[in-house]
Amino acid sequence: MKGLFIVSGLGILAMLAEIFKFKKLVYPLVLIGLIAAYAVNFTEWNFDWSQGNPYPLFANMIRFDNPALAFSGVILAVAFFWFIFANDYFKNETNITDHFALVLFTLTGALMLTAYQNMVTLFLGIEIMSIPLYVLAASRKNDMSSNEAGFKYLIMGSFATGFLLFGIALVYGATGTFDISLISAKIAAAHGALPIFCYAGILLMLVAMCFKVSAAPFHFWAPDVYQGSPTVITAFMSTIVKTAAFAAFMRLFLFGFGPAHDKWATGLSVIIALSLVISNITAAAQTSVKRMLAYSSISHAAFMLMAILANNGDMSVPPILYYTFAYSIGSITAFAILYAISKSEGHDGFDAFNGLGKRNPLIAACMVIAMLSLAGIPITAGFFAKYYIFTTLMATTYKWLLILAVLTSAVGVYYYFKVIIAMYFKSSAKSEAVAFDSTTTALVVITSLLTLAIGFVPNFIIDMLR
Amino acid sequence: MLLNIPLTQYLFYFLSFVALLCGLMVVFSKNPVHSVLYLVLTFFAIAGHYILLNAQFLAIVHIVVYAGAIMVLFLFVIMLLNLNHDSEPHKNMLLKGAAVLAGGLLLMVLTGSLKGAETLAMHQPLNTQVGLIKNLGTVLFKDFLFPFEISSILLLGAMVGAVMIGKKEIK
Repeated sequence: MKGLFIVSGLGILAMLAEIFKFKKLVYPLVLIGLIAAYAVNFTEWNFDWSQGNPYPLFANMIRFDNPALAFSGVILAVAFFWFIFANDYFKNETNITDHFALVLFTLTGALMLTAYQNMVTLFLGIEIMSIPLYVLAASRKNDMSSNEAGFKYLIMGSFATGFLLFGIALVYGATGTFDISLISAKIAAAHGALPIFCYAGILLMLVAMCFKVSAAPFHFWAPDVYQGSPTVITAFMSTIVKTAAFAAFMRLFLFGFGPAHDKWATGLSVIIALSLVISNITAAAQTSVKRMLAYSSISHAAFMLMAILANNGDMSVPPILYYTFAYSIGSITAFAILYAISKSEGHDGFDAFNGLGKRNPLIAACMVIAMLSLAGIPITAGFFAKYYIFTTLMATTYKWLLILAVLTSAVGVYYYFKVIIAMYFKSSAKSEAVAFDSTTTALVVITSLLTLAIGFVPNFIIDMLR
Repeated sequence: MLLNIPLTQYLFYFLSFVALLCGLMVVFSKNPVHSVLYLVLTFFAIAGHYILLNAQFLAIVHIVVYAGAIMVLFLFVIMLLNLNHDSEPHKNMLLKGAAVLAGGLLLMVLTGSLKGAETLAMHQPLNTQVGLIKNLGTVLFKDFLFPFEISSILLLGAMVGAVMIGKKEIK
């Protein structure tokens, strides 16, 4: 809760920096603020909620319980890394304070989505997160594809919000409450005797949430938006925003609509199967690394949805937490390297990576770790992330999805290895090293080591919530 | 027999008819200015529904904000963009067919799911005073305090975004 206050306050502070002329101070202030928010976030850890609400004024609108705090921690940590990596981009931007304010408002929305307890806060969280993002996607005003990305994101996002609102209205009509734990109790008590439109509402909300996490067949916006937006914003969308969207999805469907599992599980399993097949096959056909990462994010979404499909209540939370963290830091590494490479080579195709193994051995090694982690090869974090998801799903009747997931992961290995092959087995006309500034190098080394570290001690994160 | 129905019910059917008709006309009219004007009418019909539900405050806000401010903005934008001529590219038949199929299926599911809804209304306790300003204020500042306050971040974010897109690039 206090973390949320700090982050929203930071956003307002960043906005005021333009007027009161402390533009230079904004960047260090934001970094310090994020560390403070992260530290304060965990002071609320293990609060006994049966003792009563520490924020009685906010009457069950928002509740930072342990899962919420854990996801907030992931979001704040990844945001810290992101700000370090984005520094270079912001240095060349003119409206730096506006950018910072918008990013911090998005973070506010993201933190709300980890902890909401009410449909109203869910809706507001999604909107607070999305509206600044539409602008950020279009922030390169002279670039046609950035404009297209922003416009597409706005139109499609608003359309999905319409579905979400309609769903909320129908669920409210049937249960008479916005509170997700009360809704859960009502659904459980009714034993399927609720009016049918309640379940129609749940399915509409499922569609809207699948849109927000870009699962097929609601993924059509994702590749275009991810490719058109500036690379740093794409990194932001595919890590922090995705984590928040999953935290929201999980909270709604595990803790809210869990008792109506039989009504939405079949639909969700079809969505997962489609996401796995479509994303992996299309990703294999891409020539741009950025677009490949966009499609691969759809396949990662499918994996996280599997843990929600398993519907194990509290047991489904740690695998998703671990997966979001592993995926986010792997992506931050990949995007930070991609950003520097495409800046120096002028394009983001696979051949931009040619010969990187000789030119920048350290950076190439970090990229290998990131790609191995995203592909799910053992000893990296990505392997254990997939492993925990699979064990969660093993206990259910959806074992056929496991077979499909393993098969499509094999396709995934192919396109992640295309980058590695380009780096080590293809030669480039240029032989001088690509210029990486020291902060980016330090960042990718740290995130790569982190990827390996949580791969070695996966229980550290998994046991946090047990 | 028709006389047995209370007046509010006649009003309800009338307003619903107007709202639905104008809503359809928003989609069907070729001229975007006509679409906007039909949308204004739809908003007025919905405001009428709010009054039937004894929510006068919502009705007034709806008219002032939506039918008044936002629709005027819409009209301005349409006039500035000069959308009067038919500039929309034609979609191919396959796309149109798919859209009709998907929309029709959604309509079918939603109407089908309303089965059993009429009995539900009887079970809900009726509070006729819920829409009055006094009750609205109490609810807003007691139960919904957090969403009410956090909305300021939403509005601020939208405002900063609009300024950022709108302003010139200065080095």
